[in-house]
Amino acid sequence: MKKYAYLNINNGLVLLILSGLTNVSQSALLPEEIDVHGYLTQGFFHSSDNNFFGQSDDGISPSLTEIGINTAYQPISRLRFAAQGLYRRAGDIDPGSIRLDYGLADLILMNHESGKIGIRGGRIKIPFGLYNETRDMPFTHPTILLPQGIYFDRSRSLLLSADGGSLYAEQRTRYGDFAFKFNVGMPLGPHKEIQAIVLGTGDAQGKLEGKPAIATQLTYELNGGEYVFAVSYMDLELDYQPAAGEAMNASTAHIQPLLFSAQYNGEKFTLTGEYNYRWNTFGAFAPEGKFITESWYVQGSYQVLPELQATVRYDVIYMDKDDKRGDGAALLGYQRHSAFGNDWMVGLRWDITTSWMLRADYHRIHGTAVLSQADNPDRQLTRPDWDLYGLQLSFRF
Amino acid sequence: MDKRILGIRRIFLITLIVCSPLVNAADIIVNRTVPAAPYSLADTRAVFTMQQRFWPNGKPIKVFTLADSDPVHKDFAKNNLDMFPHQLRRVWDRMTFSGTGISPTQLESEQEMIDKIATTPDSIGYLNCRPDDEKIRLFEYQ
Repeated sequence: MKKYAYLNINNGLVLLILSGLTNVSQSALLPEEIDVHGYLTQGFFHSSDNNFFGQSDDGISPSLTEIGINTAYQPISRLRFAAQGLYRRAGDIDPGSIRLDYGLADLILMNHESGKIGIRGGRIKIPFGLYNETRDMPFTHPTILLPQGIYFDRSRSLLLSADGGSLYAEQRTRYGDFAFKFNVGMPLGPHKEIQAIVLGTGDAQGKLEGKPAIATQLTYELNGGEYVFAVSYMDLELDYQPAAGEAMNASTAHIQPLLFSAQYNGEKFTLTGEYNYRWNTFGAFAPEGKFITESWYVQGSYQVLPELQATVRYDVIYMDKDDKRGDGAALLGYQRHSAFGNDWMVGLRWDITTSWMLRADYHRIHGTAVLSQADNPDRQLTRPDWDLYGLQLSFRF
Repeated sequence: MDKRILGIRRIFLITLIVCSPLVNAADIIVNRTVPAAPYSLADTRAVFTMQQRFWPNGKPIKVFTLADSDPVHKDFAKNNLDMFPHQLRRVWDRMTFSGTGISPTQLESEQEMIDKIATTPDSIGYLNCRPDDEKIRLFEYQ
């Protein structure tokens, strides 16, 4: 616990610096064309069994801290530079690191009265589903945790951002607005948690390396985003090179998720559903080598009061859709419940002011597919049915 | 003397009267440099959601808004754009925090809005009522 106390003191300091920064962004220190935006969030977790974001089992883990700061600069009207830095500490997966979340140049190639076409280059956020590009910004989604069956916190290193390029097009029509993105880039590591998923062990000595990947998304919005539909597809490859003398084979894992998204945004009621169908080819790692992961969720949010939103969600994942009971996992000596996860959750979001937000989540979970290896090094100790409680305070500017 | 007072009163009245005829709708205002054109509701939405970044004359659009909690902003979103304030927030946040766009410049008060629109070429914003200022024009769309 001492370790966390120390880090929390640091967070307090960072909060002070951030409060100072909001003043700087409004003062004459920065030219008027440059806006600074950001957020800070601190989450607390408690679980009846199993660890989520640190030692949450039989305790309270304060180990989800995130700070993001971004800015953009537009030297000429068609060219824009934008960058965001991210500090994150998340359980034992990430003991605390600072990274460039995105850093890009955006050039509008063609602009007309009902749309535009452009390119981006640099470090670009990966478009995937409704939430992935802003997954770390707490104000952009209703609950503390995104549905883990699709927005895994375990395998976030593959989903965050990639170094490469993007072609995008937007077209507004009388039948609705279309937007298309095609990204090619190198997903950023480290892929230690992915390695545990793909190799089935956290003890491998070699290294899993990402290869250039494709991420593409088509969205369709009606009536200014009252209805949103999206299809996202990714094609990811990871190479494993065993260490000298290691019994593991060199091999390539191929992961291709196809995600369908739909959302209704009413005045007080929001209904969201996403369905993910993911082809996995784990080469020489998995016994069959190939399997399909299926995950989906349905989520309803209601604005009870202008500042208070309540959310209910059911979130499902089957690592292998043809083996929902986990027979394959049992054969390999793992626990059956590591093959699936069914999560009922209720959450409350209180927007205290436009800058401060407090959220609480309660999850009743059957299955352990979403648990990280880093937080649960001995999988035999994990339990199939568990409760997870979360509390999160966030600030934006 | 009486006539002067009457004159001042008349101007005052006129200033008060140039409110939008729609109940609870705001007035969308632009700097006088903004070209008049047959703008549609979709065009207007595209401007405020920061999708359309240029006026028909090729000049970059400068968008000013008020805080999400401001009653004028709420009226503007609902009655002028036929959207909910949270829809605008969703679009702006998605762009700002993914690096795919920028959000409008948020101002503190209606007075600041008047000052900014009057002094910033190619700018657009909104107010409860349009002020009587020769540098500011009502933005018309269908």
